[in-house]
Amino acid sequence: MPPAANMAEAPLPAPPRAKMVAFPVPGQPAEKMAEKRRPTAPVAGASEARRASPARGLATESEEEFLRQAGVTAMLRAALLKVLEARPDEPLPFLAHYFDNLGLRSPANGGAGEPPGLLLLQQQRIGRALWHLRLAHHSQRTAFNNNVSVAYECLSASGRKKRPGLDGRTYSELLKRICRDGEAPEEIVSPLLRKIQCRDHEAVPFDIFRYGMLTCFVLLEFVARADALYEVLDDSGQADRRVCQAVLDTLEGALLAGDFEAPSRYLEAGSQLGPDCLALAMDRALLARKPSSAMLRDEFLEKAASLFIAKVRPVG
Amino acid sequence: MATETALRKPRRWGGPAASAGRRMLSPDRLALPDYEYLAQRHVLTYMEDAVSQLLENREDVSQYGIARFFTEYFNSVCQGTHILFREFSFIQATPHNRASFLRAFWRCFRTVGKNGDLLAAKEYHCLLQLLCPDFPLELTQKAARIVLMDDAMDCLMSFSDFLFAFQIQFYYSEFLESVAAIYQDLLTGKNPNTVIVPTSSSGQHRQRPASSETSALEGVEASLFYQYLENLCDRHKYSCPPPALVKEVLSNVQRLTFYGFLVALSKHHGINQALGALPDKGDLMHDPAMDEELERLMAQVPGLLTTTTSGTESGCPRTSPRLGSPWRPLHHSRKVDAESDGSTEETEESET
Repeated sequence: MPPAANMAEAPLPAPPRAKMVAFPVPGQPAEKMAEKRRPTAPVAGASEARRASPARGLATESEEEFLRQAGVTAMLRAALLKVLEARPDEPLPFLAHYFDNLGLRSPANGGAGEPPGLLLLQQQRIGRALWHLRLAHHSQRTAFNNNVSVAYECLSASGRKKRPGLDGRTYSELLKRICRDGEAPEEIVSPLLRKIQCRDHEAVPFDIFRYGMLTCFVLLEFVARADALYEVLDDSGQADRRVCQAVLDTLEGALLAGDFEAPSRYLEAGSQLGPDCLALAMDRALLARKPSSAMLRDEFLEKAASLFIAKVRPVG
Repeated sequence: MATETALRKPRRWGGPAASAGRRMLSPDRLALPDYEYLAQRHVLTYMEDAVSQLLENREDVSQYGIARFFTEYFNSVCQGTHILFREFSFIQATPHNRASFLRAFWRCFRTVGKNGDLLAAKEYHCLLQLLCPDFPLELTQKAARIVLMDDAMDCLMSFSDFLFAFQIQFYYSEFLESVAAIYQDLLTGKNPNTVIVPTSSSGQHRQRPASSETSALEGVEASLFYQYLENLCDRHKYSCPPPALVKEVLSNVQRLTFYGFLVALSKHHGINQALGALPDKGDLMHDPAMDEELERLMAQVPGLLTTTTSGTESGCPRTSPRLGSPWRPLHHSRKVDAESDGSTEETEESET
């Protein structure tokens, strides 16, 4: 068990000394960093004073040397850059996950041992690609694009014999993994997969890869939103079919009318889905004197998803 | 973050898409400058601490790898176990550390409350020092003052009374300093607008208006007090209780004293929830998983379980003898020996 685990579970009383370390951050001198940090940690002032005292100067220097030689500085710098790029809502679990993945990749863990089987290697590559893809939300387009290209490189660097490049089989498997991890129902995602999958032997160029990944992530989010929408419509354990249908029709109207090349179309679609239009449609649906029945969540989600998938351009 | 997730109904299926949805609801963090984002979430505090921990364990680290060390470190931060036995300056450095410490204190010494023991401030301080050797006595005393309404400081307190008062005092420490200053100013008729957030804890609130003690007009006017507190919450850089809940506390009364206010804060169910470190008062002693674990551990220690149950491995929790032995030395002579679960009835005693 590594030392930190000891610290976490059955820790020994550590001597209460606060050793401050100045590890350089990209582009920022340590002093400036400390200054910016002051408001967050009320104790920082005291420790800075200690750090600045000449008696500790020597020790600090050798520590810095140690950190640099052991690769800690570089590792933390990379981690910090990743945090800043992805801006996760909760950076601490993000960092735990980040270092965990880093540890798995290091030569100390399997890399130097027996060469793993081809299948295992493939699984590892897919896992790594998935990890990169999830680092940033797709709405942060620059970070996401970066990660997509890193993932693409991960996957296309294959074994010695094969030529580099990504084949359709791996690409399809990755898509399936994303959908499976998103826990979206099979009947919702399979129409999408049919549209964006490639054949097993085909080479997948980067553009297609990026398009597929992005579409997949957006669909998953769309379905999650639709699920939340159903939650709202369903106020007494059952959602009224007429209201659900009215909402779906409004959504369809907003999505299907015309092409989305012209920027003004986005505004029009947005206004069609605004509270007033939607409320009117729902009102009308409730006024219609038809026998009411319930619409189940799965049906609602499937219908909503099919509206989305209809707009997805098939690849190839 | 916590309230946001709590408000959402549980999704039937979550996964990355669902968490992505939540992430998109707070895009303001994406607009922050880098340093503000890092400062807001205390990323550098933890990274720095991780490095200093790494340097202290230099020899062991080289064996397991640095990435593994950092993984363990950040995992323990997420679980809240990272504050155990650390120095006070670290424990109070971030809101997450404070909440983790409160939780650890509760989980470690829950048995005290369960046994219905009443302890004095000094004894609670010893318990705190078991988790944090340099925990300042002053803070324990301030918490005790809330329970005892700044009176008869050697009185005994129930575990839950102390815990909830301590929570308010410890978690909102800086906020309460400012509140004390405002209260003091209002009491003496000064205009509290000039209040500067005090950074040191020296020389504040020794107010106790001796002259007005018997008069009906003790304390300050609640609505006026709230106006100043609302303003304070707006500009306060440390954690504050949610202003809406502070308002709720203050709208129930015409006038109130400083300690009256703190007691009301510490007993407020919503403030406890918003803080998110401890369960509701009713559930304080209820943790079946932990109980089971404790029983299991106790069963492994030879000599703790006297006679009887040695035959059955599993050990039946209800029939096994009282297991509070680690805390025996702290038991007070007043302690009732009969099984008692509630601290509430004893609370009344402690307050009189």
